[in-house]
Amino acid sequence: MAKETKDYKKDFLHQRFDATETDYDQRGYHLEVVLDVNQVRKFAQTAYELGFYLVFVTGFHVRPDEGHDKKKSGIEVVYQFARYDRQYRIKARVSVPNTLEIPSISDIYQGADWHERETRDLYGVVFDGHPNMKPLLLSEEDPDFHPLLKEEKKLKFLHEVSWSPEAPEVAKGEAEAETGR
Amino acid sequence: MLESEYQEQNRFFLNMGPQHPSTHGVLLIVLEMEGEYVLDPQPVLGFIHRMHEKMGESRPCQGFMPNTARMDYVCALPYNHGYVSLIERKAGIEVPKRAEYIRVITSELNRVASHLLWLGAYLLDLGAFTPILYGFDDREHILDILESITGSRLTYCYYRFGGVYQDIDDKFIEATRAFIKRLRKRYVIYEKLVTKNIIFIKRAENIGIVSPDMALRYGMTGPNLRGSGIAYDVRKNEPYSVYPEFDFEIPVGEQGDCLDRYMVRVQEIEQSLRIIEQALDRLPDGPVRSKVKKNIKLTPGDCNFAVEAARGELSYYLVGDGTSTPYRLKVRVPSYSNLSCLPELGRGILLSDLVSILGSFDLVIPEMDR
Repeated sequence: MAKETKDYKKDFLHQRFDATETDYDQRGYHLEVVLDVNQVRKFAQTAYELGFYLVFVTGFHVRPDEGHDKKKSGIEVVYQFARYDRQYRIKARVSVPNTLEIPSISDIYQGADWHERETRDLYGVVFDGHPNMKPLLLSEEDPDFHPLLKEEKKLKFLHEVSWSPEAPEVAKGEAEAETGR
Repeated sequence: MLESEYQEQNRFFLNMGPQHPSTHGVLLIVLEMEGEYVLDPQPVLGFIHRMHEKMGESRPCQGFMPNTARMDYVCALPYNHGYVSLIERKAGIEVPKRAEYIRVITSELNRVASHLLWLGAYLLDLGAFTPILYGFDDREHILDILESITGSRLTYCYYRFGGVYQDIDDKFIEATRAFIKRLRKRYVIYEKLVTKNIIFIKRAENIGIVSPDMALRYGMTGPNLRGSGIAYDVRKNEPYSVYPEFDFEIPVGEQGDCLDRYMVRVQEIEQSLRIIEQALDRLPDGPVRSKVKKNIKLTPGDCNFAVEAARGELSYYLVGDGTSTPYRLKVRVPSYSNLSCLPELGRGILLSDLVSILGSFDLVIPEMDR
């Protein structure tokens, strides 16, 4: 029994967030929101007031597209929110500026505390206003080691890893196949 | 001597773990204590951190399958399930119906095994030695049943993209039905031994109350959330696999104390058995694995898949770049968010109550540290 889905796009567009609906069957979430650094806290507050819970916060390392804003570090922070009462999932992403600092939401969603510390461990993003920005999963002796940053040669452009509706359908069943076992 | 000085002298730090029996693994909790009261419990994670996400990003997607079982080793099959479903959604792979039924049966068996282990371990934390012997006795049957088809007893790698590794046989079905019958007979033992035990009730009732708002702020999921009265279960809320075809209920608690979390899990065992019975009755014929290309290409763009593991919502988030290796793989594990409320929940309580709360949260440390 799938619970009815409500359209939350209006709520977020009303607050001037850049929200687009996505195809749930292909991507596993309903709404994608692209945030500016100074919108992060307002967005979290809106989500909290609408009754969303925080699923996770994580980082994403990518090369910004050519001709794009040169001030961008290439690291994005990805938030996911969902609801307890119905099927609705939101992904929000924000591009981190060169200073590698973005505002913390750990006073709105206390659960973000550990997720933000983990993101600092893995990507080196510093969350401004976080009460305890110490290493969580990784060792305190080497706070400048960020294992999930990509090497230069493995780094892809943003458009290469972005979903596009025209993407060729690659994996569907043709060509030589592997049988039973 | 001033009163404040006296208090200052009575404050001390206590390291609970990383080898403490009731932290169930290598978890350290630094407790600021005053006498027997906990002022500030701070969990310290990372003792068993293995960077599974990096491993997932540095090899073709098939190579991550064994890793999925090594996060939550107590309930590994839902972790298998989430990962294969994620890749199937990303690459558009069809799964035969029989394979989905087998996945549900084995996942639910694994969930029952996990809850039985939790029941024994929780009671052991509280000082009762007998229930773990009963719990392990019952769980042993499930491990035997699962071993007969998956080949392993704990860290399963049974599901494949497009199906499962091998079909189940009549022996498996017989053994599963016999086990369901046996476990239902044992309920009365558990009820007499544990649920109605006054010592247990005193240790669990009104202890560690998690309010619905607190659960939301910390992103709690699973039985820990349902104990607080919120009927959120990914199997119902965001149906995946063939779960919508089965009739089962979501048990919820009332006030969110340790006893409610206990009751929710005990009732979930019965609901899982109901799902298994229905799935066995309606098990369709047909192949258990569809033909899938060896070299699976992950199309550019992101994709998310959430399943209900024994401890709550497990969410895989993947970004593809057109090759078979994920560009980014994030694993959102339930215990991590569940435990993060401990500093708030454990303020000003007795140390013995903290042990009860930790036990009732059903933590698996390798899952949190990843």
